[in-house]
Amino acid sequence: MGEERTIVIEPATRLEGHAKIVLKLNERGEVDDLMFSITLTRMFEKFLEGRLAEQAPRLTPRICGICPEPHHVCSLEAVEAAWDVTPPSAAVKLRDLLMQGKQISSHALHFYALAAPDFLAGPFADPSVRNLVGIIKNMPDAAKKAIALMRVGQTICRYVGGRSVHPVTGIPGGMAKRLTEEERDELLKLVNEGEELADFTVEVTRKIVEGYLDVITKLGVVPTYYIGLNVEGVHTIYDPKATVRVMDPDGKVAADFPKGDYLKYAGERVAPHSYATHIFFKPAGYPDGIWRAGPLARINVADRMETPKAQELLKEFRDTVGRPCHATLAYNWARIIELVQAVEKAKKLLEDPEIVSADVKLETVTPKEGVGVAIVEAPRGTLIYNYWTDDEGVIKKANLIVATNNNIAAVEKSMLVTAKQIFEDKIHEKLKFPEPWFK
Amino acid sequence: MSDGFEPKILGIFCNWCSYAGADMAGTSRMQYPPNIRIIRVLCSGRVDPQFVLKAFELGADGVLVAGCHPGDCHYVRGNYRAERRIALLRAMLHQLGLNPDRLMLKWISASEGAELVNAVEEFVKKLKELGPSPLRKG
Amino acid sequence: MPVKVAFIQLSSCWGCWQSLLDLHEALLDVIPQLDIVFWHTVVDYKFKDLEGLPDGSVDLGLTEGFCRTEEDVHLLKLARQKCKMLVSYGACSTFGGLPALLNLYPIDEALRRKFMEAESVVDGRIPDRVVPKMLDYVKPNPSIVKYDLLVPGCPPEPKLIAEVLTSLLKGEMPKLKERTLCDECPRVKSDVVVVKKIKRDFEGIPDPEKCLLEQGYICMGPATRAGCGAVCPSAGVPCKGCMGPGPNVLDQGAKMLSALASIVDYESVSPEELVKAVKDVVGTFSRFTLPSAIIPRAVTDRRK
Repeated sequence: MGEERTIVIEPATRLEGHAKIVLKLNERGEVDDLMFSITLTRMFEKFLEGRLAEQAPRLTPRICGICPEPHHVCSLEAVEAAWDVTPPSAAVKLRDLLMQGKQISSHALHFYALAAPDFLAGPFADPSVRNLVGIIKNMPDAAKKAIALMRVGQTICRYVGGRSVHPVTGIPGGMAKRLTEEERDELLKLVNEGEELADFTVEVTRKIVEGYLDVITKLGVVPTYYIGLNVEGVHTIYDPKATVRVMDPDGKVAADFPKGDYLKYAGERVAPHSYATHIFFKPAGYPDGIWRAGPLARINVADRMETPKAQELLKEFRDTVGRPCHATLAYNWARIIELVQAVEKAKKLLEDPEIVSADVKLETVTPKEGVGVAIVEAPRGTLIYNYWTDDEGVIKKANLIVATNNNIAAVEKSMLVTAKQIFEDKIHEKLKFPEPWFK
Repeated sequence: MSDGFEPKILGIFCNWCSYAGADMAGTSRMQYPPNIRIIRVLCSGRVDPQFVLKAFELGADGVLVAGCHPGDCHYVRGNYRAERRIALLRAMLHQLGLNPDRLMLKWISASEGAELVNAVEEFVKKLKELGPSPLRKG
Repeated sequence: MPVKVAFIQLSSCWGCWQSLLDLHEALLDVIPQLDIVFWHTVVDYKFKDLEGLPDGSVDLGLTEGFCRTEEDVHLLKLARQKCKMLVSYGACSTFGGLPALLNLYPIDEALRRKFMEAESVVDGRIPDRVVPKMLDYVKPNPSIVKYDLLVPGCPPEPKLIAEVLTSLLKGEMPKLKERTLCDECPRVKSDVVVVKKIKRDFEGIPDPEKCLLEQGYICMGPATRAGCGAVCPSAGVPCKGCMGPGPNVLDQGAKMLSALASIVDYESVSPEELVKAVKDVVGTFSRFTLPSAIIPRAVTDRRK
């Protein structure tokens, strides 16, 4: 008989965010309790009150510096919804291109810097090796390609958004800047390079999946609901006309609702130990209705991908791990499928002659008292923005459910499951691990 | 208020009109409340908003900026600048939770000693109603 | 000899680090010169690893983000303790930053809005287990610890970061530009700038060549330090002041307020119209620097 133990992991690392894990083991070494505690909130909902609504697209990107573009675009959509403003179609395409650019660079960053080290160096490697620097030192070719792929996405962001971090060109009524032909030509060249770099990343992913399939299909597999945007069943990360689909753990579509109805379906429960709340599918209640957002969720709810290469990869994914896939580690695989789609989509947008149109902004926009709901897909999850504006176009009230916030409850659940597997079942001694790519 | 609170007022007066007006009140032996300390600047347009904010941050209960009447500014347009700066400052104070009436702008000419005395007396009365500034230390 | 560096993430968005990564291929020259002893998004070292390092043993520390919680303050003080040289990296760290606009509200009111009154919340309560305590309001990091260098920007542009890092790795102290944004802005300015009407950012279609302020858009250029290459006006939108004030300025918001009041046409913009046009004085002029302003937060005046 041992002793009770409390293990505190702080901070949680290799994520953008501030969190700690508190794990309690009883005298028998069994997992008694696990708390996933997000240790920060900056309460954007509150300080948005009193701000001019057209400034919101320049405020909310500060929610996240890795994915500021979805926040920018979501703010635009929310204000335009509140003010009944329809921007020119070229502006919508530019915003879409901005979203795809960010999807490319963020997914590349996430894969190579945050996730891949665990697979390439292996989960038992020393922390000093198991990181991006380890990849740079030991797999210089892969590192170069990763950086080049991130540069593709970030350059799109800079040309369309004005800056590579915290875009500025979106304004209710359109965009402040058009894309010139020279910029479009340069970006097309980059995106073609991006296709090759994405293909390389797919190969790395395939090798990882091959080597770690046992781990992926057995460790941290947690049935949950899933949420993602779609346009008639087709995967999308941005479309003003998209609806929101929720899938239940058995794979049935539990809801497919217009953005404005989100309050009927999204419940937010406050956990006493976390500044990020637990989101759940209201009709199913808490905790049964806990849902996940992000790449795995989006490809689960989608009937098919929007672009051909990505669709092929999705078929390969489903042939291997099924639909819905509840394997947490499969998030990384889903992420690469989305990366491929983002590159294909960016190319399609750049080949559209309307992308260099000069008609990107309405001359007249009239603020009014109104309510707007906007929903877009950030790389790591669904963004839900709800603004209330007064008759001068000042934000009276704001409600935000932000990307990874959708996942907090499920992350905690998957950690609990995994902790039990490790501490009680000693699963790490039984699973098949491949040889690390580097030591 | 009967608790003996005496508001502390900083006055920033322009040399050519309002400070001269204060001088005139003094030489005419007009009494005005000792709550106000007056600083002289050459023009109300010299009043940097940072001065006003610093005064409040240091614990002033009220700030009175005084300048020439519109059209009479010795430097032609300085008082127009002051007018607009004070307006924005009052809005800023309001957002920061301070009653904007703690910042007053008055046009006082060199011969308006009596008007100055009146203005100061009213300001003191108003500030006594408002109470001490929440930024007052101790 | 690799330089020991610690990248400290306080309450932040990671934008400053993303901007560093936007050096792209140049990173492959910089990273091998570094021995990263702490960077919680990239490397698995924990707080206890940082605490276990000997004081002053880390050559260079960069802090991103501001202090929102007591844990941030603890980490900031730890960073000062462990690092020989400490650099404040970005607007949040240097001034308090945009999210510190929350200083306009009492913290209890903010917590209540988010955790109890939000429309999607089903059983409201304020988290109080395990999570670090919120500070009542944001104070700028330089008022909590002494820094060796302050770098503004939200985020600092990659070019600026490259200049700063290159200097530091050479053992030199970089110098920030002392002029305002207008100096490096490519737009055409008249000899005398007069604003006849103030426009909100969505009004009309701005002339792409002319000074935005002259066209009536509130551009913070005159009150903002140069060094970013005037990236926002170059992209078609007004500067919002993320590089903070120039040297010898206490309060960037007060300075811009003053500048705007000075250049409006007195015939066509009355004081009332000016206030009505700006509407949100603090959010417009002190967006990134409220905690560093002379009055850094909202108070409660008894009778309003």
